[in-house]
Amino acid sequence: MPEPAPAADEVLVAATLRGDDEAFAEIVRRYKRRVFTSAARFARDDHQLDDIAQEVFLRAFRNLGKFRGDAPFAHWLARIIVSACYDFLRKERRVREQVALDAIEFEMRDGSMDSAVSAERAREVLAFAMRRLTAEEQLIVTLCEIEERSVREVAELTGWSESNVKVRAFRARQNLKKILENSHEH
Amino acid sequence: MNTNPDSSLDALFRAARTGEPDTARAQFGFETRLMARLREDRGTSVFAWAWKLAPFFAGLAVAAGWWGQLSVAQVETTASAVADVALKGDDSALMSFVTGGRR
Repeated sequence: MPEPAPAADEVLVAATLRGDDEAFAEIVRRYKRRVFTSAARFARDDHQLDDIAQEVFLRAFRNLGKFRGDAPFAHWLARIIVSACYDFLRKERRVREQVALDAIEFEMRDGSMDSAVSAERAREVLAFAMRRLTAEEQLIVTLCEIEERSVREVAELTGWSESNVKVRAFRARQNLKKILENSHEH
Repeated sequence: MNTNPDSSLDALFRAARTGEPDTARAQFGFETRLMARLREDRGTSVFAWAWKLAPFFAGLAVAAGWWGQLSVAQVETTASAVADVALKGDDSALMSFVTGGRR
């Protein structure tokens, strides 16, 4: 006998709203990988990652009544992920760590970097440089450059206008470049 | 040597994009932690509401007390005025006071 098809997201949302916790647990199981992958671009350790992921699902749970179903649940959740990450970055900026960028070594001018620098190393270098950007700039660099989302998509996720996204992305990139260049000069 | 900062930055982004960050360890037992927090959140929300409504009920209690005090004082004034008039045996004054007329 074939297994029954998994319940649609909308069905699980409706069940959760009726008080079925197991339905919400199923939503969490379905989307946690996506949430963790996005949040991992902003968190520095597992504790922060867990905090962001919990915040995302708590916000989703509290606002499930506002989900109308006219767009896929994944899109609705993506907006919550972005806003939770943005709030996290703003909070995090207040307790910015004092480690200097030049404390970690990296070779920006090394021609072999394209192939040789591991993803882990690149994330590390970027994380240190990006910590010097504002929360807005960090968010826009992550969405536009690392996740390679279109301007339109970023505008939808953040609620900023498309021209605003373009300007912010350009400025963020310039600042990031400056930070990396300066650190290299020292 | 790659001295163009733009291409260096692009290379850094490209390298960061390759491979998803490993989140398996952080994901372990996540549903259990989250559902426990949700239950805790739900439990405390009743108390949170009670605390939010506390100033309203405090204000209501003060207003009720003040209003009660005021009515008692008014009743006492009226009763003593009636008693005074009755003691004097002035029927017309008592009648006038009760009916609100002038003497």
